[in-house]
Amino acid sequence: MKFDDETTDVLIGGYMSKDAAQQDYEAALKCGGYLHGAVVVSKDLNGELSVEQTDHMVREGAAGLGAVGFAVGLFAPPLLAATAVGAAIGAGAGKLLHRRTASKLEQQAGETIPIGGAGLILAYPHSAAAKVEPAVTRAIKKAVGEAEGHHVQALKGAIADAQQKMAESGT
Amino acid sequence: MSEPDRTRLPIRRPRFQGVANRTLHGSVPDWDLIGHAEPPAGAPNVLLVLIDDAGFGNPATFGGPIATPNYTRMAEGGLKYNRFHVTALCSPTRAALLTGRNSHTVGVGSVGEFAGGFPGYSATLPRDCAPLPRILRDNGYSTAAFGKWHLTPDGQQGPAGPLDRWPTGWGFDYFYGFLGGGASQWDPCLAENQKIIGTEPTYYDRENPYYLPDAMADKTIEWLHGVRAQDAHKPFFVYFSTGCSHAPHHVAKAWADKYKGKFDQGWDRLREETFARQKALGVIPADAELTGRNEAFPAWDDVPEHLKPFYARQMEVYAGYSENADYNVGRVIDAVDELGELDNTLIIWIWGDNGASMEGTITGSFNELTMQNGIPLTDEMQLQLSERYGGIEAWGGELMDPHYSAAWAWAGNTPFQWGKQVGSHLGGTRNPMVIHWPGRVTGAGGLRSQFTHVTDVAPTILDVTGIPVPSSVDGVDQEPMHGVTFAGTLTDPAAPERHTQQYFETIGNRAMYKDGWWLAMRTPRIPWVITPEALKPYAPGVWDPDADPAELYYLPDDYSQAHDLAAEHPDKVAELKELFWAEAERYQVLPLLATLSTFFGMLPPLPEEARFEFRGDVQNVLSGMIPRIYNHSYAISADLVVPAGGAEGVIVAEADHLGGFSLFVDGGKLTHTYSMMGVFVYRQQAGEPLPAGEVNVRMEFAADEAKPATGGEVTLFINDRPVGKGRMDHTVPVRFSGYAGMDIGRDNGGVVDRGYEDRKPFPFTGTVKKVVFDVKPHLASEDEQQLHAAAHRGHAAHALAE
Repeated sequence: MKFDDETTDVLIGGYMSKDAAQQDYEAALKCGGYLHGAVVVSKDLNGELSVEQTDHMVREGAAGLGAVGFAVGLFAPPLLAATAVGAAIGAGAGKLLHRRTASKLEQQAGETIPIGGAGLILAYPHSAAAKVEPAVTRAIKKAVGEAEGHHVQALKGAIADAQQKMAESGT
Repeated sequence: MSEPDRTRLPIRRPRFQGVANRTLHGSVPDWDLIGHAEPPAGAPNVLLVLIDDAGFGNPATFGGPIATPNYTRMAEGGLKYNRFHVTALCSPTRAALLTGRNSHTVGVGSVGEFAGGFPGYSATLPRDCAPLPRILRDNGYSTAAFGKWHLTPDGQQGPAGPLDRWPTGWGFDYFYGFLGGGASQWDPCLAENQKIIGTEPTYYDRENPYYLPDAMADKTIEWLHGVRAQDAHKPFFVYFSTGCSHAPHHVAKAWADKYKGKFDQGWDRLREETFARQKALGVIPADAELTGRNEAFPAWDDVPEHLKPFYARQMEVYAGYSENADYNVGRVIDAVDELGELDNTLIIWIWGDNGASMEGTITGSFNELTMQNGIPLTDEMQLQLSERYGGIEAWGGELMDPHYSAAWAWAGNTPFQWGKQVGSHLGGTRNPMVIHWPGRVTGAGGLRSQFTHVTDVAPTILDVTGIPVPSSVDGVDQEPMHGVTFAGTLTDPAAPERHTQQYFETIGNRAMYKDGWWLAMRTPRIPWVITPEALKPYAPGVWDPDADPAELYYLPDDYSQAHDLAAEHPDKVAELKELFWAEAERYQVLPLLATLSTFFGMLPPLPEEARFEFRGDVQNVLSGMIPRIYNHSYAISADLVVPAGGAEGVIVAEADHLGGFSLFVDGGKLTHTYSMMGVFVYRQQAGEPLPAGEVNVRMEFAADEAKPATGGEVTLFINDRPVGKGRMDHTVPVRFSGYAGMDIGRDNGGVVDRGYEDRKPFPFTGTVKKVVFDVKPHLASEDEQQLHAAAHRGHAAHALAE
């Protein structure tokens, strides 16, 4: 299935542990819904990144999900109940929205994944949403964006939409 | 020698009964002069054991799910008490236990760290209330305390003291333990006598790592052997106060794994099982009823399936941790037995000081300090954070500081309602007690049901040792002890009940007991919720305590407080309300809610110090005594000498990876790591190496705004030149750690940055001459005042969770 045949959805999820992101990543791969691509990135307590991806788009000659953009973040809870602090995702996604031209996955993820955190991106045709989205059960925070158009443009648009939604949900 | 006057302490030196002439000719020595105070003939040894943050329904001896073979051994050879009462908070129970007075009278209406501005809450022992260890010591006992103390104000836990607020100042010859309310069992920051000794060197032994409960037993046995090596007869008083079962719940995996699957049925079913065992054992009356679940606790059936293993593991670890405490107390008892002195040793073993603790909130936490810093995390977040630090199988290991769910605590308090902090109900105020003393107790294995209270323990010990409560100590007239002896119950199951009236008060939750009747007045606040919204109804001028819901129970007929009789006996309610106010005034309980006064604007003076200097050999500065950098812009500056070949290591580090900061040199580069309670971790590094020679390095944090947990920008400097920067979106608003210390030139105990874990304590290989903290005031004084208020509210919140 080419991913410019219909609306493209992108789900981004933020996690506080690699284990949780990996579980959702694997659940998405097994969910039975078609995936254009899936990327899971985590940063350990030493700051070392690890990346795992299944990227059909690469095989199709597209730029690839990982190369297009990446942003995840963590839910940031209120502190002392009276003080709402900005979500890490807000800052990370905000930066990327201003320069969402392609850059290397590692560089972007390195900037946006907090130490100890992890993120997941899933890209899929809208028709697969009913199978893919329920597979993502452990994200602390997630958002789904969508866009139409030719592959890379659609992907960029959907990622930007998801990032925007993630940022807007803020704290 | 004639019997000395023991009512005035210290015991006066004996009058010289010999003859002292100008020369030895005709002189007659009096050898009694070089003796020391002797206890009354036949005075037994005393071993007083206090388990922490545990409930009536925890130990198997009282029907609980936790194996406690040594507790049962003592009960079978001694007596079980099933109507023994404590205050509903750590420090107050300890103060009452060790003084025989009501906790508010001795200034400990709240916890030790938190000294307030009212007499009942000063955390300062009055000189007219000499404590039990002092009395015993002055009467010829060897005295020692091991483990948790929690009776020294936060700012007085360093070498400047005042040291009369330390255990040795209370009359203990020897102390080995920790001064605060809780400690890591793996890397506690310890005190020995009058010195903070930090983390023991064996912490670094990976083959045989340090574990506080083991060390407490080892030290106790070593001390007993030392005393006996010197004096075969001098009686001892040992206060063995475990850090267990207070958070962090730390125990080796093998102990927790003994309970694999034992709690999969959940807290609701566990309560029913415990209740059935309690009935079968006869430790509760046959007609006792199991109280219901308050809606504050979720039903186990409502817990999502994928989270049930997470919750179950919390309780498995708690159970293993608690069983280990039983094991180590057993080792001490065995040592006494080996000395041949078990028959002549009065063992009083109290399983819990305030009921089980609900401070883990409903979710439980991978890091107990997250709650105290006001970081509400969902159970899914808690699970993921535990995965970050090793997963639920590592719950109990040294990478987490875990606390279980409040619902497990509630189950641990079976058959009662509520738990710790709730002084109005038995879940927070009734704990098991076992007494073992073959030399005196008759009817071994028996049950005693007289109403007894923690203030009764000291008078009972004095009673059986033949030592009077002194009327004067150091020339100060003494307040009589408020408790009464229950020594009569040791030999007579039908001994009359002597403690017939007792008030209870903890954070506004209060009760009045008299002749079987119990008036319960709980502030309708969920105990673990201290948000401004939750506290609004209790503001001065708003709260009318007499309007709080009143419940009335008649305990002789209603062991568990299952039937509220308030509507049927309004006169009794009114009588007990009035009696409570009278008792509250008499014992310095007033003003109610003084513990929370800072939440309502009653603050100590704004601190003036903003600059703090530490020389290079300062270590183990306890967490409550570090510079108050929270919520402010600040700078940490260090004068270093870097050898020609370069240097690496820690310049200054506070606490560990679950909350703390470290300024260090790694790979030749100045680095700063900041852990926001293990939830967020930030790291900044210089872009160039550190030069050799005399070097000044500096880390500056520029806060975004004057508010708790403010984010801000970090800049690193070498010799005043910026060399690196970064951002920290969230900072710690209240306190990095409940127990870990700050060190200059190294990072003792658990480390802040896991990157140098394999090199810990990662000492600086150059010279740290001086480290200076400069805490910047905010421009607007009202901002400063607001943050001062927030800091003290947080301080109170921390204290309440200890």
